[in-house]
Formats: sequence, structure tokens, C-alpha cells
Amino acid sequence: MSHANSNPIDHPEVQLASPGAYLVAYAAALGAMFLELWLVVAHVLSPISLTTAITVIALLVITVQMYLLFKLDLSKTQIWFTVSFIMTAPLIFMSIGLTIWMFITLMQRTMLPGM
Amino acid sequence: MLVDLQGPWNPIFGRLGLLLEVHYNNPIIFFAFMMVVIGGTAALSWVTFTGRWGWLWREWLTTVDHKKLGIMYILVGLVMMLRGFVDALMMRTQQAMAVGPDSPGVLGAAHGYLPPYHFDQVFTAHGMIMILLAATPILVGFMNLIMPIQIGARDMAYPYLNALGLWLTVAAASLVMIALFVGDFSHAGWVGLTPLTELPYSPGVGVDYYLWSIQIGSIGTTIGAVNLIATIIKMRAPGMTWGRLPIFTWTTLASNIIALTSFPVLGVALALLTLDRYIGTHFFTADLGGNLMMYTNLFWIWGHPEVYFVVIPAFGFLSEIIPTFSEKPLFGYVTMVLASMAIAGVSWTVWLHHFFTMGASPGVNSYFSIATMLVGIPTGVKVFNWAFTMWRGKLRFPTPMLWAIGSLFLLITGGMTGMMLAVPAINYLVHNSVFVIAHFHNMFLLIVYAAFGATVYWWPKVFGFKLDEYWGKVFFWLFTAGTLFVFVPMYTLGFMGMTRRLDYIPHTSWEPLLLLEVIGTGFYLLSILAFVIQLGVSIYNREKNRVVASDAWGTSRSVEWMTHTPPPFYNFAVTPVIHARDEWAWRREHGLTNLMPEKFLDIHMPKNTAVPLIISFFTLVCGFALVWRIWWLAAATFAAIIIAMIIRSFDKDTDYIIPAAEVERMEKEIVARAEGRIPAGEPAPVGGGAGGAYASKRTPTQRRDND
Ligand code: HEM
Ligand SMILES: [Cu+2]
Repeated sequence: MSHANSNPIDHPEVQLASPGAYLVAYAAALGAMFLELWLVVAHVLSPISLTTAITVIALLVITVQMYLLFKLDLSKTQIWFTVSFIMTAPLIFMSIGLTIWMFITLMQRTMLPGM
Repeated sequence: MLVDLQGPWNPIFGRLGLLLEVHYNNPIIFFAFMMVVIGGTAALSWVTFTGRWGWLWREWLTTVDHKKLGIMYILVGLVMMLRGFVDALMMRTQQAMAVGPDSPGVLGAAHGYLPPYHFDQVFTAHGMIMILLAATPILVGFMNLIMPIQIGARDMAYPYLNALGLWLTVAAASLVMIALFVGDFSHAGWVGLTPLTELPYSPGVGVDYYLWSIQIGSIGTTIGAVNLIATIIKMRAPGMTWGRLPIFTWTTLASNIIALTSFPVLGVALALLTLDRYIGTHFFTADLGGNLMMYTNLFWIWGHPEVYFVVIPAFGFLSEIIPTFSEKPLFGYVTMVLASMAIAGVSWTVWLHHFFTMGASPGVNSYFSIATMLVGIPTGVKVFNWAFTMWRGKLRFPTPMLWAIGSLFLLITGGMTGMMLAVPAINYLVHNSVFVIAHFHNMFLLIVYAAFGATVYWWPKVFGFKLDEYWGKVFFWLFTAGTLFVFVPMYTLGFMGMTRRLDYIPHTSWEPLLLLEVIGTGFYLLSILAFVIQLGVSIYNREKNRVVASDAWGTSRSVEWMTHTPPPFYNFAVTPVIHARDEWAWRREHGLTNLMPEKFLDIHMPKNTAVPLIISFFTLVCGFALVWRIWWLAAATFAAIIIAMIIRSFDKDTDYIIPAAEVERMEKEIVARAEGRIPAGEPAPVGGGAGGAYASKRTPTQRRDND
């Protein structure tokens, strides 16, 4: 809240914007999506390896985008964003992981076999 | 329409045609409506006849001052708490009347006076209001009001966003109040029991009111959390290192980290349910691939962190009140901070304890049971820290301390029953019994006690006079009697097998305990009266109880006691430099209590703005339109919201400078007033107690002033 940087263009995080990086990130996302689409429609993998492959590719793309789009690095302007992102990651893994665990066991215990 | 709707719909009025079928001759609704009309008319005529519209607009409706926004948050919370209390009165009396097959029924009810459909709306509204529109705003209000002063800041990091957060909360509260008179409210419990909330089972607009009001309110809470976190990280005064941060500020941080991470989960869960109801998806239906337990799962992924979101600030209150009245520094500062963060972390790992009975495997239940019990470790650390703070302290027992100690007792009993519930074997017996209800009311009451303590504790700082001690004690003891009479029988009934949400009581043997609970509600009613009298007496005697010293209690320790009472709108004449943890206590010891700085500097302040109020008005109309499926109105107001945001983002004229000379003049006047050199009746340009708290000629709205 100081007059010195009231021009948004001067903000360090805005200065980080870079068309090149955005385009690369976009291309990467698009490429990954087509790759995954192909993996699904072409039935080249068994269901379990398909799930694994999709997950791994998705994580890769997320990492690339975090760096290229959101510029999450350890510089002075960005470190708080990076820290908060990293601290959220366990919450996401935990809530999804524990949810999968509870529902798998629930299904095993409540559904008729084979349904 | 995208889904089959029961009842009328047309493009202009949406489902409003349903209203023709509602029976407005119900005396209870009529009475509530009259109360709102009378109350509203009284307030409006007071404002009109005392010529206060301009004042209201300038000083409150368009303000971005964190203190005023905090006060308004607390006011909204108190008003909604009153509404929630009336719901509670109705539940208690209904259950006490509708016992056994021979009990009479009136007003269309087979037993008692509330038919099941109405009773179900009452308990749903009660739970949702008390948690999201009473407890949450009151706590957020205190964080807003106190935390920036505690870290030596002039305002929040984003004053405009702060106002938006408040007004969105008001929009949510208004939507719930509108539901009382225009249509129905949800009847599916505050947790939104699936698949009951799905369209085929709840074809009316009740669930839609529930969905949209929570959705709007939780957007408000989320942006509030962003703001509070950014303020703590970025706006601390020089020298206010992490190791010196007051504990209440630490708890604000912990609690808002929870809010920021968990509220989006609620938003998503409700949005998916909204899709089910509005476009016919099957996320949570019982068939067609839906998974109804997934809603419960998502709800509690938010729900359990939310209960810690509300309890951690209460721990903050206790950590400020207890050292002040023990005349000792808080015992174990570092462990207190770590415990707050640990509680915040663990709160994310335990949510399945709300549905142990779903039938997940013993492994899953054991994991969640153990995780739940782990919360006891940091909580225990805190309890011992408070106890050691009091140990060998110079204890005084004014009302804030009474509330704090009461709160500790409740923490221990509620925590114990929580531990019992955390054992799956016990949980299978008492799940969904009123034992659970007693447990969490016990826990929420701890928060209420701490919040009333905080009210009395910070009141003199905020308004410049102390609250009446005699009526404060009457209030405390009546409230405590209410707590004991309602919740001891409720725990007992839970063990006797009484399930929750009953509109008819089949076992006549439960009647005596239910009557005791009604007596307890009577005590609560009296306690509210005592509170109102306390406020009235205190305002009437404000000259007698005037506090001019910056430190109202003489033994306070943190930075908010280092500025004038009440603080001027710019909080500190010059930004303080912090030397120690418990800075004010440190300054007292070193004889540095003079508030006059050697040199004055320009002060940079945010300007008032009406945009948050406007956006929230459109949000309210948009919510209403979505509830009644009036698509054109929803689209128009949504567009209006976006346009208002765009216009605001091009507005560069959002702040102004108070020149140093002006600051000096105001500071001298405050001091002169405090020393009694200016008669108290004079209109107060800065500060000035209940007559114009924080009033200032210097918070310009954009159109009024262009300096
Ligand atoms: C910190 C303050 C706390 C608050 C505000 C709180 C609040 C609540 C709420 C709102 C519910 C259930 C609501 C419902 O079903 O409608 C609940 C249930 C429960 N609480 Fe707490 N609680 C707190 C602390 C604890 C603690 C410390 C424990 C255990 C160590 C605990 C264990 C449980 C369990 C196991 C249930 C589930 C009971 C059931 O539905 O069968 N709670 N609590
Ligand atoms: Cu819980």
C-alpha cells in the first residue's frame, strides 16, 4: 500500500510475465492432453498402467506449469507463493489418498462381488 | 428447463409461482415477520429522525476501516446468533411438548406445535446459522478488529477486499433471512444429508437457499482469510518478528490457513450438489453412478477443519486474557505457537470420524480414530500452558477472566467427550444421538465463552469505556446455569438412546430431562436480557466508566494497548517499533509509556468506497434469482457484479495522505481530550467513545474529497 509501486506493471510479480514461457506451457499442456487422449482411445496399456501413466503425465504437466505459468521459484517475490503451494500439496495428497482408501474398503465391504 | 421441476415455472418469475401455495397464516412466521418489520422500522426511523443517513453512509456503509468492519462483522454475528437462539427455543419447547402419544398438538402439528417439515427447517437453519453466520462472523470480526492493531499496522493488507468480505457475509445472512419469509429453508440438516438434498426428495427451494447462502458466505470467508494471512505476513511493524507476534495473531494465522485451504472443498461439494439439482448430473444421487457418501466425505473434509477454524481464535482470546489477569507472561509461548499450527495440521487428517458408521474397513476406522485422538496432545499442551500461566500469578477475576476460566472447563469436558466419540466402538453406539449434539455444543460454547470474554476484554479499547461488571457477572452466571441445565441432561439423554433431530419423543421417560433442558433455555433467555441490560447500563454510565489510559486493564501486554483508547482511525500516530515479545509490558517496565512521538510523519490511508456494498447487493439479488431459477435476473446481476469489479479495477483514486501537521493536530486533540482539557460533550473529530467511535472527518469517500 505504498505510492511507489501503485503502477501494477511495475510489480515484480507482473514483471515476471513472459509470453515465451506461457506459450511453452500451453504447448506442453496441449501435447500432454493429446498424448493422454491417445493412450485412452488406443487401448495400448492395461487399465492399471493406463491410470499410472495418466497420473504421471498429469503431475509432470502440473510441475511444468507451476514453474512456467506461475513462476513458483525461490526468488524473494515468489517464495511465499511457492511455500504455500508446497504446504498445500500434502493436504491434497492426503485428502484424495485417504478418500480413495476409505471408498475402496467401503466398496469391498458393501457391494456384491463383481458389481 | 434443464431438469424436471415440480410446480410452476415461467421465464419471467422463475419458480416464484410456488409462493402462491405457501400458507402465510402460520402465526409463528407471522410473528417473526412482525418482529423483523418492527425492528427494521425502528432502526430506520431512528436513523432518519436523528439525521444520521449521511453519517451511516460515510462512517459505516462505505468504510474500509478494519476496526469498523470488525465491529460490523460482530454485530451481524450477534444478530444472527439471536435468530439462531430463537430457533433453539422452538426446538427445545417442541421436544418438551411432543412427548408420548397423548401429547396434544396445535397449529397443524400432530404433537407439539411444529409439524415435522417445519421442525426440520428450524434445526437446519439453527445449525447452519450458528456455525456459518454467527460464530464465524464474530470470530472473523475480532480478527479484523484486533489483529492489525496487534501487529502495529494501519489497516489490513487489502482494505477494499476486507469490506467486500463483510458485505458478502451480510448478503449470505440476508438470503437466509429472506428464506424465512419467501419460500422455505432446507430441511436436510446443516450438513446437507444426501440424497435427501437431491431434487426428487427436496423439490422446493429450501435446499437452494441453503446452497447459495453458504456459497456466498464462504466466498466472503475465503477472501477474508486471504486478507488476514497477507496482513500478518506483510504488514507487521518494524521489529515485529515471528518470535514476537502476539499469540492471538498467531492463532489468526493458523485459523485462516485452515479457512483458506478448506473452504474451497466446501465450495466444490456444494457446487456439485448444485449441478445435481440444476442440470441433472448424478454426483451424489443414489443411482446412475452417483455416490451419496462422497458428499458426506467432501463436506467433512471441510467440516472438521472448520470446527478448528472456529476454535483456534478462541484459544487466542484465552491466551490474551489469562496472562493479563494473572499479571504474568504467557507460559510456553513457543509451544503455544507450535500447538496452534499442529492443531491446524491435524485438523485435516481426521474427518472420517464424522462417519465411522459408514462401514469403511477396520483399518480405515482405526487410522481415523488414532488421528483424532492425536489432537488431544497439542490441545493438552495448551491447557497446561494456561494453567501454568495462572500458577503463582497475581490472579484477578473480572468478567473476562470468568469467561476464560469457564471456557477452560468446557474445553476439558468437551474434549473428553470428543475422545469418547473418537473410539469407533463407542461411536457406533452414540453416533447421531444427542450425545454428539451435547459434545459439539459443549465445544462451541467454549468458543462462545471465550468470545464473550474477548468482548468485555477489548470493549474499553474499542469504545473507550468499560462494560458494567455487576451485570456482566449476572450475565455470566445465568449463561453458565443455562449451559449446565441444557447440556448435562442432553449428554444423559444421549446415553439413554435419544437420537438427534426428533420432532416427536416416543419415550415418556425422557420427559423430565427434556423439561430440565427447557429450564436451561429459560436461563439462557434471562442471560440474554442481562447482556442487554449490561450494554444499556454501560452505555448510560459511559462517562463514569470512561477509560482514557491506553491500557484499560493496567496489566495488558500486547501492542493494541499501545495506542489511544479508542484508537484513532489511523491506529498509530507513527508506526511503532517493536522491541520485545509482549511489547507493551516491555515498555511499561522500561518507562516508555508516553504516546506522543517526537516527530510526526505523513500517513497513507485507504479511501472509502461503496463498491463492496454494491457488489454484495448484486450478489444477494443474484443468489435470490438462482434460488428461484429466474435466469435473466441471475445473468443480469452476475454481469453487473463483473462490471462493478472492472470499473473498480480502473479506479486509481483509492488512497490519500494525511499530512504530518494534521496528524500532529489530531494527536494533540486526542491527548487534550484524554486529559480532560476538552469537555467530553464536545463533538469528537477523532476517536471519541460510543458517541462516534472512530468518527473522523478524514476518511473521505471518493466523490467527496480529492486530496
Ligand atoms: C475443537 C472444537 C470442536 C468442535 C467445534 C467440534 C464440533 C463438532 C461437530 C460440529 C460435530 C458433529 C456435527 C454433526 O454431526 O452435525 C462433532 C462431532 C464429533 N466430534 Fe467434535 N468438535 C470439537 C472437538 C473435538 C475433539 C477434540 C474431538 C476428539 C478428540 C472431537 C471428536 C468428534 C467426533 C468423533 C465426532 C463425531 C461424532 C458422531 O457424529 O458420531 N471433536 N464435533
Ligand atoms: Cu470432527
